[in-house]
Amino acid sequence: MAFLEYLSSPSVQRTILVQSLEHIRIVGYAMLFAIIIGLFLGIAAHRFPPFRGPILSVTSTFLTIPSLALFALMIPIVGIGDRGPIVALTLYALLAIVRNTVSGLFSVDNAVVESAAGMGMSKTMRLWRIELPNAWPVMLAGIRVSTLLTVGIAAIAALVGGSGLGQLIFSGIRRIGSPGALNALLGGTLAIVVLAMLFDLLYLAIGRLTIPRGIRD
Amino acid sequence: MTDQTNDAKQYDKETAIGGDAQVGETMIELRELTKRYPGEETPAVDRVSMEIPKGEIVVFVGPSGCGKTTTLKMINRIIEPTSGSIIIDGEDVTNIDPNHLRRRIGYVIQQIGLFPHITIEGNVGTVPRLLGWDKDRTNARIDELLDIVGLDPSVYRSRYPKELSGGQRQRVGVARALAADPPVLLMDEPFGAIDPITRTRLQNEFLRLQEELQKTIAFVTHDIDEAIKMGDRIAILKEQSHIAQFATPEEILTNPADEFVEDFVGTGATLKRLKLTRVRDIEVVDDALIGRLDEPREDLQKRLNESEWTAMLLLDKDNKPARWLRAPDFRHDRPAAELGLPARAMVEKQATLSDALEEMLVGSAGVAIVVDGRGAFEGILDVDSIITSIQTMRDADAEFYRAAKLIDPADEVA
Ligand SMILES: Nc1ncnc2c1ncn2[C@@H]1O[C@H](COP(=O)(O)OP(=O)(O)OP(=O)(O)O)[C@@H](O)[C@H]1O
Ligand SMILES: [Mg+2]
Repeated sequence: MAFLEYLSSPSVQRTILVQSLEHIRIVGYAMLFAIIIGLFLGIAAHRFPPFRGPILSVTSTFLTIPSLALFALMIPIVGIGDRGPIVALTLYALLAIVRNTVSGLFSVDNAVVESAAGMGMSKTMRLWRIELPNAWPVMLAGIRVSTLLTVGIAAIAALVGGSGLGQLIFSGIRRIGSPGALNALLGGTLAIVVLAMLFDLLYLAIGRLTIPRGIRD
Repeated sequence: MTDQTNDAKQYDKETAIGGDAQVGETMIELRELTKRYPGEETPAVDRVSMEIPKGEIVVFVGPSGCGKTTTLKMINRIIEPTSGSIIIDGEDVTNIDPNHLRRRIGYVIQQIGLFPHITIEGNVGTVPRLLGWDKDRTNARIDELLDIVGLDPSVYRSRYPKELSGGQRQRVGVARALAADPPVLLMDEPFGAIDPITRTRLQNEFLRLQEELQKTIAFVTHDIDEAIKMGDRIAILKEQSHIAQFATPEEILTNPADEFVEDFVGTGATLKRLKLTRVRDIEVVDDALIGRLDEPREDLQKRLNESEWTAMLLLDKDNKPARWLRAPDFRHDRPAAELGLPARAMVEKQATLSDALEEMLVGSAGVAIVVDGRGAFEGILDVDSIITSIQTMRDADAEFYRAAKLIDPADEVA
């Protein structure tokens, strides 16, 4: 098995480890920004009906731009390196977060919000103490989908001078046909799949820790 | 603190006037309260004015869509009035900060609206925490309230709403509304979505609780029976929350203000009275025509023909009613035990008139047979005596009202 041999080489392991950490860094930043912006946009879309349509259609338009094109478009704006990919991935991640925040907030029983108001909670208190906690399971599902999406797309960062596992994959693609090319391609892809699975486990744990028993199904 | 001094002052005032505690002061006053929903031609609630006395349950009842909920929700300004004012305990609260207002008003809605993501303890402790009570006081209060509504704190404190039955949830809803001991409670069909048996139990428990608490309560229902049961006073509302009658249940039953009230109270009122009266309270016919199963046919037939009765009741040797006989039954050539119809619709003396009436409808003779505990015959109750009893139960007001009805101009025209 040539591939197993390839994987057992310490230098390859080092490369995969380093590039995985870079990959996680890119995805991590993108998700951080996407969650902050997405939460804000989601709450705004829920609360102010005139903004709802525009917010949802703009965020879904992002997802229709071919990823290679979007990454390349970032170069003139933020230059070469990881910054462009982080911005692009943030845009991709927005839709699922915004949409799930909106539908999560809509799924909160009106009677629950009304009784909170009836007890004298202000609008802000209602949002943070009642609406968001109850919308959280749906929101978390959106964040999870977005993360898995960005873990995959982040490989393209390598094409615009960024880091991450894309480097290994594209080094394989460039040398395709020559010995070892397939191994690099497979190694990078496998590492991305493993990363995605690890993120999934992470979200499972976060869900366990943050969703109260009362609204878990 | 100010509350206590207020109470003391009010107490002084009452005793000064002559200590008549029955003369309640007004706790909630609605003045020309109006709600016009955006884009609607007519207001949903049109200039309703009402005074709710301290310590009483006032029930808003009326047909669907007449504006009960809208009126109620304007009191804690969940729905902001278009015009008019709300005065609570002498203070005009129409324009004060609604969140502060609401912390002094308990609020219970049909869907309950418990917070699903926090425990019962957290739900009940919500308002005390908003008011900044310390932990110990809040905790003690939560235990006390769960006890009051009949839920063992050690069992239920740490449960989540979804881990309770519907009736238990409604109890928690009431406990949560009472948490900070608000003087005023607003309840919108609080027992509406519960099965009838649990509903009756919760109603009774709540009335017992209210005897101690003496809260001022505005209570919405569309069920006139519930209104009569729960209300110290009832406001019967027509469309746009126009008050058709605002009076005690007795007054509404005996002296409905107009046709609308009469229609709305309808059969509910009569049935209510029938449920309050027992068979032993009214006169039963005890000289009915009685025969014995073992008497010769000819004797039975002769007695029936000679009497003014259209039917004869046959008793067995234990004096238990057995058969009803009518004259045509004697055409059949059968022993007495197989003639006529079996005697049914038997009630004991402690049965309510409502039970008796139901038995009559089921039985075949249009009358109920009154029996003692062992099933032996005591007398006969017919529809007429029930109607007579309803009439005598009504007081002079009702007599007057009926007399007025008899010369209703509409009747004269017809
Ligand atoms: N948000 C709203 N916008 C417009 N119209 C409304 C709104 N809420 C209620 N209405 C209208 O106002 C009227 C009174 O409604 P309300 O809910 O107070 O009735 P209700 O007496 O509580 O009825 P029900 O017994 O069915 O609960 C109805 O005609 C209803 O259609
Ligand atoms: Mg209603």
